[in-house]
Amino acid sequence: MFEVMMYDGGIHRSEELYEAIEDAGGVVLQKTRSAQLLTVTMSIPGEDKERISKICNDIGGVVKHVPLAGTEIAIVGCTLGRHHMPHPICDIAEEVREYGGISVVMGLARGRGKATSQISAKEKAIIEEYDAVVFMLGNFKQCVEAKKTLFEDIDIPVILVCGPQPEGLDDDCEAIVSGVGRKAERMRTPEERKKLEEIGDVIDKVIRDRRAMLEEDPLFVHPAELKQLLEEYEPIDMSLRPAPIVLHLDGLRVKIPYKEHKAYFESLEVYGHKLTDIARISESKIDDSSTIIRIKTRSEVEDEERKA
Amino acid sequence: MEVEVTGSDPYACPAYKTLFETIMNDVGKAILIERAKLVLKPEIPLFIFSVRLVNEPVSKTIFDVASLRQEGNETHLSISDEKYAPEILSQLWKNYGRDNVDQQTRFDLVVTGGDEEKIKDFLVSSGEETKKEIVGALWRSMPEGIKARHNISDGNVITIVATEEIVLPEMVEEGIAIHKSLGGTI
Repeated sequence: MFEVMMYDGGIHRSEELYEAIEDAGGVVLQKTRSAQLLTVTMSIPGEDKERISKICNDIGGVVKHVPLAGTEIAIVGCTLGRHHMPHPICDIAEEVREYGGISVVMGLARGRGKATSQISAKEKAIIEEYDAVVFMLGNFKQCVEAKKTLFEDIDIPVILVCGPQPEGLDDDCEAIVSGVGRKAERMRTPEERKKLEEIGDVIDKVIRDRRAMLEEDPLFVHPAELKQLLEEYEPIDMSLRPAPIVLHLDGLRVKIPYKEHKAYFESLEVYGHKLTDIARISESKIDDSSTIIRIKTRSEVEDEERKA
Repeated sequence: MEVEVTGSDPYACPAYKTLFETIMNDVGKAILIERAKLVLKPEIPLFIFSVRLVNEPVSKTIFDVASLRQEGNETHLSISDEKYAPEILSQLWKNYGRDNVDQQTRFDLVVTGGDEEKIKDFLVSSGEETKKEIVGALWRSMPEGIKARHNISDGNVITIVATEEIVLPEMVEEGIAIHKSLGGTI
């Protein structure tokens, strides 16, 4: 059984940690370096957890439990205007990162207003590239209920965060967290920190349910295994973008343009299969500099092979 | 600053009171406001934000915020209200050039070739500008989607009536009633 944990510390002697992960047969899921500080999210066999935790402590870092590791979560506000940003959206995004997930903050172009708010098909398609989305709405119950049109057709789990407890939205989202409305300052009081933890726990539960659902019909290859293969490709290895490969529950976001590297993706072999046979590869809807890989399930691949 | 919020949403009223106070403090306008009344009716939607200022904003010249003394062809200024120092400097630089304005300390300036009579009338703050900033702060505290706005302003009372589509006459009437309740004379 593999366990996910995060090293948070300095860059000094980090090579020892990488070697230990490799020796144990583990995988580095995410590596973020900022000056002399380093965070490494890793997936390692359960029996090696104690040994690797000891190495983390020996080299001067701490080990954190990261339930959202290997996920990318969007936090969406009605707009990017100062009425909706930066608080509390950025506070939630920070909480998601504390839980080990990659968070992305977005604002809709025309999400403000009770009667005039709307979401475009492109915005919806962009949001659906992520593992889950947190919609942050405001203080008025009627407005929150009227704005269900923004998220009712979204095909990924939606967590609604708003001020009052809305009615009649239970079928349109996976979870609702009330008590956080529009704010003009950081959420720093003990009650507010507790509320942020509640949001983190709710996202964690939604992701766990999603993982359990995926386990019923497992993916052909785990995204982390595919990540190891992709990392050997020079343009990805040499990429200067932070986190050139981001793991999703059912695939990856690879930050190289699809059109330019189409031939590579089409020729890549994974366990005797072509990548194109075991995954759906498409250009990211955000821009053309990223590629989205959605891995097919084992049964899907077998079914297609049978038909062929 | 005394803030009174009325509305149909039991969650939004206390939340907006806190929000309004935080935003006004952030933009530094809370000390200028004596009383504020906020009416929140999201069901229409109609939002009326009305404030009574401590004093009616008036224009200020250098004479109001600094003491002046002429010695030969040099004018000595001693700033009494530091808040206006950047605007005083900017006016002097504009009229006499940077080389002729010597800032000896935070409060003391010497203008070579300056004329006390002329300098004392330079405008450092206009009342209209202050009012505009307060209206901006009110807009900032209102919900973003409520874009159709009607401003009522006279003396030291400013009221904004806002809705999502068309500002109807009865909405303006309601705004005027709130405006008058805060001492407005329109």
